[in-house]
Amino acid sequence: MKNINLIGGLLKMKGISRKIFSILSVAMLLLLAACGGNSTGSETKDNNGTSSTTDGVVSAKFGVISYLTGAGAAYGEAITNGLKLAQKDINALGEVNIELVIEDSAGKADQALNAAQKIMSDDSITAIIGPTLSTEFFAVAPEVDLNGIPIMGTSTTVDGIPEIGDYVFRNAVPESLAIPAAIKKAVERTGAKKVAMIYGNDDALTKGGFEVMERTVKEMGLEITTIETYQDGQSDYNAQLTKIKGTNPDLILASALYNEGAVIMDQARKMGIDVPFVGGNGFNSPQAIAIAGDAANGLIVATPYFGESEDAKIKKFNEDYEAEYGKKPDQFAAQAYDALFIYADALKRAGSTDREEFRESLAATKDLEGILGKFSFDEVGDVIMDVTVLEIKDGKFVEFE
Amino acid sequence: MVRRYLKKEGDRLLGEILNTYYLQIGSFILINIMLAISVYVPLSSGQLSLGSAGFMGVGAYTSALLTLHFDLPIVVGIIAGALVASILGVIVGIPALRLSGVYLAIATLGLGEVIRVIFVNWDSLTKGSVGLTGIPQLGREILEFARGLGFEPSMIGIKNNQFVFLSIFLVLLILVIAILWFVVRQQNSRVGRALSSINMDDRAAESMGINITYYKVVSFTQGAFFAGLAGALFAHVIGFISPADFAYHRAVEVLIFTVFGGSEVIVGSVFGAFFLTLMPEVLRFVSEFRYIIYGIILVLLMAIRPQGIIDTNLLKIFKFKRSKGGVR
Amino acid sequence: MLLEQLINGITLGSIYAIIALGFTLVFGVLGIINMAHGEIFMVGAFVGVTTTGVLGWPLWLAFIAAIVVTSILGYLLERITLRPLRGKKGVSHLAPLISTIGVSILLENLSHHIFGAGNKPFNTSFSEIRINIGSITIYLVQIVIFVISILLMIGLTIWLSKTKAGKALRATADNLETASILGVDTKRIIILTVVIASAIGGIAGVLVGMAFNSVSPQMGLSMGLKGLAIIILGGMGNVKGAMVGGLILGLSETMLVAYGNSGYRDAIAFIMIIVILLLRPQGIFGSKVSQERR
Repeated sequence: MKNINLIGGLLKMKGISRKIFSILSVAMLLLLAACGGNSTGSETKDNNGTSSTTDGVVSAKFGVISYLTGAGAAYGEAITNGLKLAQKDINALGEVNIELVIEDSAGKADQALNAAQKIMSDDSITAIIGPTLSTEFFAVAPEVDLNGIPIMGTSTTVDGIPEIGDYVFRNAVPESLAIPAAIKKAVERTGAKKVAMIYGNDDALTKGGFEVMERTVKEMGLEITTIETYQDGQSDYNAQLTKIKGTNPDLILASALYNEGAVIMDQARKMGIDVPFVGGNGFNSPQAIAIAGDAANGLIVATPYFGESEDAKIKKFNEDYEAEYGKKPDQFAAQAYDALFIYADALKRAGSTDREEFRESLAATKDLEGILGKFSFDEVGDVIMDVTVLEIKDGKFVEFE
Repeated sequence: MVRRYLKKEGDRLLGEILNTYYLQIGSFILINIMLAISVYVPLSSGQLSLGSAGFMGVGAYTSALLTLHFDLPIVVGIIAGALVASILGVIVGIPALRLSGVYLAIATLGLGEVIRVIFVNWDSLTKGSVGLTGIPQLGREILEFARGLGFEPSMIGIKNNQFVFLSIFLVLLILVIAILWFVVRQQNSRVGRALSSINMDDRAAESMGINITYYKVVSFTQGAFFAGLAGALFAHVIGFISPADFAYHRAVEVLIFTVFGGSEVIVGSVFGAFFLTLMPEVLRFVSEFRYIIYGIILVLLMAIRPQGIIDTNLLKIFKFKRSKGGVR
Repeated sequence: MLLEQLINGITLGSIYAIIALGFTLVFGVLGIINMAHGEIFMVGAFVGVTTTGVLGWPLWLAFIAAIVVTSILGYLLERITLRPLRGKKGVSHLAPLISTIGVSILLENLSHHIFGAGNKPFNTSFSEIRINIGSITIYLVQIVIFVISILLMIGLTIWLSKTKAGKALRATADNLETASILGVDTKRIIILTVVIASAIGGIAGVLVGMAFNSVSPQMGLSMGLKGLAIIILGGMGNVKGAMVGGLILGLSETMLVAYGNSGYRDAIAFIMIIVILLLRPQGIFGSKVSQERR
């Protein structure tokens, strides 16, 4: 009676505080069991989602892990908005019915893991979208993959993501695709020989982008005049830019997110740097124009999402998004929108919400038409798609001629 | 019939407890308790160290790199991580003796940031902000090991991933209990009394013949050890680390565990880590306002009850206090 | 190029100096490090952005708005978080520190909610005015920042040494109880100190917005930590020290970027903290601080 649990017995001799602790630890488990409790029980075996079809309409639940609170919440918000808009449109088409279970990861790997565990303990969820940041994704995906649940990143562009496992996919155009396209075209048109580089070295995305830039530049045999870095929270890039200006580059390669990138361009223009900038995935957003105004002219990026395109699908997407959320969409939102359509298409083809079947049909996606163009997965689950090289000219994104 | 009902309820409860979501949170709670203790121990000798994030990072990267590049077993990595952190603790602790109070706090904060900047920039070693992926995960290694011995989790009726997280949780639980046992024992010993008297008035203590240099460095190093240990475990639970995990925000978070929970008694650190790790999960439905609430709680708490929630008086009420020469 | 970098360094240093002034005032009088000072600075910047951008007010009005808002914030800070801690006995010296950390988290995330997480552009015609000397461009804003920092420093120094209120403040800084026995209304002085410090932070915020065209909720944290480094370098509670320290930090960061590896820029501030605290804890201009002041 006194030594109900082994641990308690051990503790009895060592002091009172441990008694408090052991009570606390048991209490903690029970407390979690009591107040969390929406798991559908773990006595069920590896059963993946009940196949519920009514009138041939497959109904499925997808888990979403998104960066909703915190410093980078703007990106998570764009993604979640894109997903919700897609959900509306997909459900309206009536071929499948999708329910989204959205969890916030606050951009932190440990919270993303908790969110993932919470989603995974719900056996009726077929697959997962997210998390937003590559750092979170690296923490979450191996675990999800091990549990045989398909997971797809819509914004994780760093090298090595889909290679994590068979259940891991990505529809975000990786830096390794986008950046070389942009740099090559920029060099073609301007005949540039010397480039300067600047990147944010304390962010995984911009650092990853920089690594791709460096690789491409070396392959192309261009001369690097200088490499500068900046850190999070800095507002003043003048020191770095003055140094860059002094080395007289033909192009500046900036691996930056649009918030910082736009400010960098603005300060650069103010000090008389007129050369074009080439940016990576994070730089591509109409927000860059909003922040930097005319200074943003001369930015070259490669993207699947050309916001000013005349394409009817993109125009409709832009209109619907702006009507629903009051601001223009960006690449994050567009890729998320297509991502859910990819999932819906795979769901339709699989005809069931079984995780294995879903994964098979997802991997078999070929030449699916999304708003961003034709879309397929390669053998590791990475995206195959075309990118357009764009330039900001006269305050708008246009195709880079 | 009653027995069958009890068994069913027991199984359901077991299933609930073995839910990997809870086990994951539980594991984080245990790691945070370790971190809170790593602040508490130096604090009990009057030294406020805000460098816990730095020591944590040192432990994490040491262990991660050793297990990734040299294929050393996780156990070796974790011990190495904790030891390297404590060596750093000694190196830092000795000059830190000259500082006190807020000055020490800021210096250690600065140290933590310098460590982080080194992690970010030394990318040939740490891969910088991109982080280290594929760090061997504690639970999965245990699973492999058990399988090698012919054991399968299905033998005791649980799934693979439940076994993985259960084993992580148990390992952490045992470690935390061991640490608590050690710290409480130390507190009630000669060492603890020395630390406590240094905390109250170090010059008086010195004049009483207590070697304050020795004791202060010891407690500071212990703090570094526990933080390094927690860091190494953190790396092997998540499987991925990057410098952002060990930034100023982490140091502040850890500090708040101890301060909120109760800075006078060790139970305070345990409670603080427990409650504040749990809160963001329970408050998920108001997750948008999480940090705002956090900030408000801190302000209110400091205004109304600055010693933290659990203090010696509260413990007295529960008659848990064991008086031994006036030491808690 | 060296000249341009010097100008960059001085501009940056002047901004650091202004922020450090706020820190040093509060520390001098209350013995407290106000970890929320960086966030107050950020709020000032946002007030500037909102008034010029959304409301379309002229610049001078934006400054006044920023000063008003941050002063109110400072008052609230003192009233709600600092004053309750002063009366209590046996309160650890950590409590005010932690309380201000709480405020800083609160402010940072509150402004995320209200303003969104991204950078807001700060466009005023004033920021565009520039002077060209040869190949070098100096913006009027940069000169203004430097001048304001000098003026603030001189102004504060005069105020502290010559005026009655200033002297009362110094007395309170020296010893709270004695000052109050001597008839100084210490409560009012303390409020005044925090309000002035916060207003200075607000001014700095608007200046930064103007100079760099970049305002985001995250800017407070890194500025706050740098400000800390400066007051340690210059001597806590010392106005001249804040100015000199700010310039030294601004120039060294700029020079490191110009001639070295820009990646380690942030580390300078922190290495400085450690080195100074070990070698000369009172800072360049500080006087030997007795151990009583914790």
